[in-house]
Amino acid sequence: MSQISDEDRQALRDGFARYLDAEAHEEKLRAGIANNRGYDETIWQQMSEMGLLGIAIPEDFGGVGGGAIDVALVMEEVGGKLLPVPFTSTCVVATEMITRFGTDTIKKDLLQKIVAGELTVSIGGTGDFVSLSDDGHSLSAKPSVDGWAMSGQVSFISHAGVADYHLLGLKKDRVQSAYLVKASDAVSAERLSTNDPAQRLFTLNFSDANAIKLEGIDAEGINQVRMRGMAAVAAEQAGATRAIFDITMEYLRTRYQFGRPIGSFQAIKHMAADLLVEVESATSAALAAAKALDAGSPSAPKFISLAAFTCKDAFRTVSAQAIQMHGGIAYTEEHIAHLYWRRARAGLPLFGSSDEHREHYLKSREAA
Amino acid sequence: MAILDRSASPEEINNVVEAWLDQHWDTEKRCAKGEDSYDEKSWLTKVFEAGFCVPSWPTEYYGLGLSQKQSGIVEKAFAKRKAQGSARDRFHLGAITVFKVGSEELKRAMLPIMLTGPICCLLYSEPNAGSDLAGVRTKAILDGDDFIITGQKIWTSNAQEAEYGMLLTRTDWDVPKHRGITFFLFPMKQDGVEVKPINQITGESEFNEVFITEARVPRAHIIGSLNEGWTSFQTAIAYERLIMGQGITERRGKSKADSEPQLITLARKYEKYDDPTVRQKIAQALAYRELNGLNMKRAKQEIMTNGSSSLMSLGKLAMSRVQHGEAAIATDLLGNAALLDGDDYPDAANINFDAAKAYMNSIGGGTDQIQKNIIAERVLNLPKEPDLDRNVAFRDVKSS
Repeated sequence: MSQISDEDRQALRDGFARYLDAEAHEEKLRAGIANNRGYDETIWQQMSEMGLLGIAIPEDFGGVGGGAIDVALVMEEVGGKLLPVPFTSTCVVATEMITRFGTDTIKKDLLQKIVAGELTVSIGGTGDFVSLSDDGHSLSAKPSVDGWAMSGQVSFISHAGVADYHLLGLKKDRVQSAYLVKASDAVSAERLSTNDPAQRLFTLNFSDANAIKLEGIDAEGINQVRMRGMAAVAAEQAGATRAIFDITMEYLRTRYQFGRPIGSFQAIKHMAADLLVEVESATSAALAAAKALDAGSPSAPKFISLAAFTCKDAFRTVSAQAIQMHGGIAYTEEHIAHLYWRRARAGLPLFGSSDEHREHYLKSREAA
Repeated sequence: MAILDRSASPEEINNVVEAWLDQHWDTEKRCAKGEDSYDEKSWLTKVFEAGFCVPSWPTEYYGLGLSQKQSGIVEKAFAKRKAQGSARDRFHLGAITVFKVGSEELKRAMLPIMLTGPICCLLYSEPNAGSDLAGVRTKAILDGDDFIITGQKIWTSNAQEAEYGMLLTRTDWDVPKHRGITFFLFPMKQDGVEVKPINQITGESEFNEVFITEARVPRAHIIGSLNEGWTSFQTAIAYERLIMGQGITERRGKSKADSEPQLITLARKYEKYDDPTVRQKIAQALAYRELNGLNMKRAKQEIMTNGSSSLMSLGKLAMSRVQHGEAAIATDLLGNAALLDGDDYPDAANINFDAAKAYMNSIGGGTDQIQKNIIAERVLNLPKEPDLDRNVAFRDVKSS
């Protein structure tokens, strides 16, 4: 349950939105894309200043003790501006894993650094809390004098190139384990070429790197972490869907052909009205999922599945149609539409495909 | 007369309404206490006098001044005992429209009559004015204090029972179409009004044609102003679309929130529930319905905080996809069996009925295509398409 009042939540969101409107313009996005980090570090630091990085962190560890709904509102804004920041990995999934399964020492050390914007965590391997599983990894952990030593290779890790810690899942014979590995000389990162230029995917190689094993991991805890990660991703996609839709509507009002705005043609209007249903459904689904999580509702898994495929599919459809409705201008690299479209496509496999989530959703609707 | 006001807590409201119903309503016999059968007029008069007909309206207009949420509690208490008469502020389109845009005189004269009688019928569409409703040709000619009406209306529900109809007429033929329309509250029970049922593709006859030949309506029954009927009409049609988006046109008791959705039950019965393609389709169909519900829930919250919500206009459009989609899947689940019909084949009969009935939502109250134009223009602020008949006197507009 969130510790933040409704007024504070609205103020937080409005403040963040105002900041992003002023600072997170397209040039910054493109500059971020061109640098090694993938995002603008000043925005991350500002998010820290505003208390957003600790939004899901308990007050005891310097956070603000927010709930899934607070994360969702932040993520809607993050998605709207396509910020390629490591928020879900660091401030949702890693934060939840550390809060649930970390020792007090780890919590004190890492969570406070996350709040301060001094530490990011990348996540990979296999397991339900990993958004991009790599079944082909060759990771293995063995006991060492300092705890554990991690060896092997794993791919599909977002933001791993600049992350301070790597949270690695190893799931074997249904047994989940998780390790924290600090960036060091024993870890090397190789960037992968990606379809979404804002996405930073890496292959990591570990050679007996020191690892901390998270203890006491249970399936229900992992499931909670997974659902919170999924709710964050859904909200991000819902926000991005609305943003590219708004950009498109503005174009339809101002682009003239045949002596009239193209938005006056019914062929275009009907597409727009249909897409608005998708935009609003994505928002509703993402909010319902976050609220169900915060309420501890038994329907939470159902709403999470619903939000997962609804938001992925809405973002994909709306961003694809945005290119179509813009016409030639959006077929150019310099127009922003393809960046939304690429992000939508990059989101398709996160925490499982739409088809998988539709299947989960159906099961949740069956009679008990 | 009010026995409740806005300061009442949900429990207080519920208690007061339940106590009132205990005193006046016989749940067993479904009629007023002490009577043998249901007398609509006398029961509705009781409900009206207690303010429960229109709880969200102010006390000076026969309501209790309650919020929408509080009114919902009144409505629920009535529904629980299957008592009629509540929530007329949500479903009585005629009364709502008169309340919103009628003159003070009309409100005082007619609201008590309307709220205690059958609901009004809607005399809008004509054979040549369907989607283009502003093209109505029913004539209203001033004669003393009355207007004399001649014309034909179509798609009118409850035309036999209704005592009044909301009538769109042409009063000025020499100005462009939107500017020569007058909206009337029209008395149905008079000579010159002939009602003829329409046989629908569902097998039902909910709708009628209404032939009007030199019937009369008092000038005082204009809703809004002379020749400005199109503006008043917008209020009525907006409420109608709002009601349709809530799925009110569906058969009642179709699926309860917690019970297993019908499509799943049907898929099991016809042994197709293991087919992954079928499962995907059913899941998506159920999702569309649930998402529309979530959108409407958000709309209601927005209305409570801001007084309006653009989300509301999406409900009817989204419901079309839900209803046509579910019917299509169900038809496929039955396979050959869907070819049959009639009482001996209830699954087929139900599904074939649903497949036809889905058009009620996607055509009735404005086709989906008209609804998309409205959403695009009013919600998304996309520019209007140039109208060929916009600046043409109505008598010169081309028609089929």
